[in-house]
Amino acid sequence: MGQDGMRGVLDGYRVLDFTQYVAGPTVTLMMAEMGAEVIKVELAPNGDFTRIAPVLRDGRSGYFVQHNRGKKSLCIDAKQAEGLAILKALVGKIDVVVENFAPGVIGRLGLDWPTIHALNPRAILCSVSAFGQTGPISGQPGFDGLGAAYAAVMSMGGEPDGPPYIPHLAIGDVSTGAHAMGAIACALLYREKTGRGQHLDLSLLDTYFHYHEASVQMHSLSGGAFKPTRPGLHSFYLAPVGTFKGRSGYIVIMCPMDHIFGYLCKAMGRPELMQDPRFATNEQRVKNRDALVSLIEQWIASMPSDEAALAAMQEYRVPCAPVLSVEEAVNHPHHRERGTVRKVRDRILGEFDLPGFPLRFSEFPTPLELDAPFLGEHNADVLGRYLGYSAEQVAELERRGLLRSAPR
Amino acid sequence: MPGDSLRHVLDGYKVLDFTQYVAGPTATLMMAEMGAEIIKVELAPAGDPSRRLPTVKDRRSGYFVQHNRGKQSLCLDARAPAGKEILRDLVARVDVVVENFAPGVISRLGFGYAEVSRINPRAVMCSISSFGQKGPLSALTGYDWSGAAYGGVAHMIGDADGPPTVPMVALGDVSTGVHAMGAIACALLARERTGKGQYLDIALLDTYFHYHEAGVQMASLSGGRFAPKRSGRHSYYVAPAGVFRARDRYIIVFALEDHQWSALCELMGRPELARNSRFANAAARVESLAEVIGLIEGWFASMPSDEATMAALRERRIPHAPVLTVEEAMRHPHLRERGTIRRVRDRILGEFELPGFALRFSDYQPLELDAPLLGEHNAAVLGRYLGYPAERVRELEQRGVLHSAPY
Repeated sequence: MGQDGMRGVLDGYRVLDFTQYVAGPTVTLMMAEMGAEVIKVELAPNGDFTRIAPVLRDGRSGYFVQHNRGKKSLCIDAKQAEGLAILKALVGKIDVVVENFAPGVIGRLGLDWPTIHALNPRAILCSVSAFGQTGPISGQPGFDGLGAAYAAVMSMGGEPDGPPYIPHLAIGDVSTGAHAMGAIACALLYREKTGRGQHLDLSLLDTYFHYHEASVQMHSLSGGAFKPTRPGLHSFYLAPVGTFKGRSGYIVIMCPMDHIFGYLCKAMGRPELMQDPRFATNEQRVKNRDALVSLIEQWIASMPSDEAALAAMQEYRVPCAPVLSVEEAVNHPHHRERGTVRKVRDRILGEFDLPGFPLRFSEFPTPLELDAPFLGEHNADVLGRYLGYSAEQVAELERRGLLRSAPR
Repeated sequence: MPGDSLRHVLDGYKVLDFTQYVAGPTATLMMAEMGAEIIKVELAPAGDPSRRLPTVKDRRSGYFVQHNRGKQSLCLDARAPAGKEILRDLVARVDVVVENFAPGVISRLGFGYAEVSRINPRAVMCSISSFGQKGPLSALTGYDWSGAAYGGVAHMIGDADGPPTVPMVALGDVSTGVHAMGAIACALLARERTGKGQYLDIALLDTYFHYHEAGVQMASLSGGRFAPKRSGRHSYYVAPAGVFRARDRYIIVFALEDHQWSALCELMGRPELARNSRFANAAARVESLAEVIGLIEGWFASMPSDEATMAALRERRIPHAPVLTVEEAMRHPHLRERGTIRRVRDRILGEFELPGFALRFSDYQPLELDAPLLGEHNAAVLGRYLGYPAERVRELEQRGVLHSAPY
């Protein structure tokens, strides 16, 4: 319990959540972690598709649990008139609606923005999509990697004469969720002053394009002469900045400023390199990058171990890091101590590891104990508390198939 | 209309911004894009080190401009007593303080959270760092891809038997700034109820680790039998899902579901493959991945053009995308129409292009913003917030407590 008996910074906020997969659920997961009440609307009969994503044990999905802890499940047939009526009634009683259907789908369900705004002028609708609600490609099906491709982030990874790679993790989806969560919070702040809800349009494409911290302006300000593309293991505009081969693994070293390069020279016992005309400025270092990389890798190879090389660099405050595998990261004492990785408990899966909640609030230092719901687990709870439905009424709706539940 | 007098959703909020480079400035840039007033504190004489990063023309940095539009620059000597007094008085008058120095630095400057909350109990303070404020790694210096390395993310990209190959864009820094912005906004919401600020500890490492949408739970729940790793251009648990060589470019195709694979087989003129046991479901296709790649890349090569290929994929709604270069993306009609790429004007650099603002609010269009010259707003900030007359500001400049420069 933190300030004033609140569970978290968003305690008291209510969210009607139509999302599934990762990008949308990340938004509402973060809000749940901050104490908001999230009603996860799962379309009958099967609900969120990720309930069958690996790892599955006893019919319970670790994937689903990761992205849906702390949410309440309402499993409902939205295509029936009474189902839609229930959802519309709920819209009247919540603060935020979040959806990540393909553009147009929520409208065909009967809950487009004008409808939501009319039902509840204070409600915020956050729409998350691959390419945005409008525009030439907004109708195309999307996945994380497709956003990376269209946003030219994919083209920035790999060897110059080789293919780009598929990152095997949801860099875009998760970050889009974080963007959307921030946008929702800002819209709620605005609502404090004005009483107005708004429609928020977030996309994977915009998130990925946001990552271009240099390439866009460098291309533009060079009059198009400089064409950013994948540079391999080393930055195309700063040196030495990149991934270096070690004895047993790989080491990232980042010296974006002259004086930081100086630290590296000292760590290598080669202070004279700072005055070497090949390396005296960043521009020179970029030009002579191959020689510089080779020199550094030779030094690393000369050390008794990668750990020794890292320790030597860290002593001189050279920004450097070992490229850890997931297993190594999960077992790293820092990550465990900080809660970057944490152990959670699920009723069926038992204890297992998940990424920690990345936001830390001093008033709420202990992460909430959260459960991922079974399908339709909170049908009676939500309809009772929000709409005054009795247990018999809910049971009747389940018998008719309007509501559904399952023990997973 | 309600909100008419508000420039944007965060109009009225005031931020004292000690950040530099990218991660921290992303948080405050987003707040500036949403109408907040950002006082960027730049330490004299050089200010934000990113003022020296390319592209530099006439000492004006396009890198700096991109990450600092809409902010006001206050350039001062934070170690001088007069400088500290200014900062203390400003802390008292703002809603948010943001910093991304190495842990401990802001406290040694005299503005750790203990001090900030004493001066202003309503202030939300956000510290952004590489590895967090405490813990075994917290004393280490690090930049974006250090977080990718420690976070097990770099490990996940590249050839299976090749080096980790992270895309050379700020995957961590930008996203950390976004996470911080969200956390700040949520703390401000809590403040509406409690009247109190609090301290936020946001780290690059945590942002990167957040990206593990499957690998961590899969490793954990398999008792360590499943070890997430990079596998080059193609997914290792569904197919086809990867990067394929086409005539003039690379194209990503995600035809994971059986009906999408059937449609693709029809397009390739090989409808019978949909029923072939070697390809009938995703697991089988993964086993036969080399053949699947050969089939698809063969079909791509046989088409008259990549545009024709993509039109065919589009028509059958098979998820795919061209792997665009930065140049191509900047010209793409969808990105231009949506404002994913936008043209901005800078006083010195003139017109050029930048990524658009990633958040879209129905009540507001993007703001026209200027990036400040170094110390450009010394007099304005000290005058408006602290009532300093012009002579006093000049005196402080002469003494070197304040500094400014025309870039």
